[in-house]
Amino acid sequence: MAQLQAELQMRRQVGGANDEISSPGFPSIGSEGIAQSKQPMVGFDSLLGNFVQEVNNKQVASGDAITGLLGGGDVQLHQAMIAMEEASVSFQLMVEVRNKLLEGYQELLRMQV
Amino acid sequence: MINLMPGVESAASALHAEKIRMEVIAQNIANANVTKMADGKPYERQVVRFDSILSEKLGADSQAVPQFVKAASIVGDGRPPKIMFQPGHPDANESGMVAYPNVDVHIEMADMIASSRTYEANLAVIKNARSMALQTLSIGHR
Repeated sequence: MAQLQAELQMRRQVGGANDEISSPGFPSIGSEGIAQSKQPMVGFDSLLGNFVQEVNNKQVASGDAITGLLGGGDVQLHQAMIAMEEASVSFQLMVEVRNKLLEGYQELLRMQV
Repeated sequence: MINLMPGVESAASALHAEKIRMEVIAQNIANANVTKMADGKPYERQVVRFDSILSEKLGADSQAVPQFVKAASIVGDGRPPKIMFQPGHPDANESGMVAYPNVDVHIEMADMIASSRTYEANLAVIKNARSMALQTLSIGHR
């Protein structure tokens, strides 16, 4: 995990360097892009953490909807189904992101020095 | 909040509204022969009035687009009851006439078909949104 973070850190630095190199060619777009991307200063790890948290929230909401529906609560059938589908789709997105990250990590491990 | 399935919330509000409309139609058909209610009058046909509401999430600066639909109110039809000659009926007046509800079951059946088709259309929107999201996720597959 530490290696992965180091790799992400490196990627970010490389990305920032690229931005600065390309900014003279596109002065207005480049400066705006940098200003927008650097202002929040949210790390990718916390971004990923928030995303996982959100996916978990959707799963919890889906579980609540099912419990409410089966328990005779004030939940409509379509609400429960939509909550389940949203949970499922966001979970799949999370799996795709994880696969992509792992793929990049494996690629890095295979790199010849 | 990430929004992975576009249009689903609007369609869900429409599903809820159509459900209410279906309940009102069922109520009309069920009460089609009620000649005397608590107030002494026959049952009056009820109609749902739909209303479109703005999303609460939209700020003042964004374009105000009606996003959701809701069954705003259920109002009486207003047409007079059907008067029939039935001297033996317990609710007949002195000249043997009985006031029946202004419900026409044929019209209710046609309304029910329309409501059911609208429900199907909104379900199709949701299914389509889901399949769009899944197809987009499959970009990552090889």
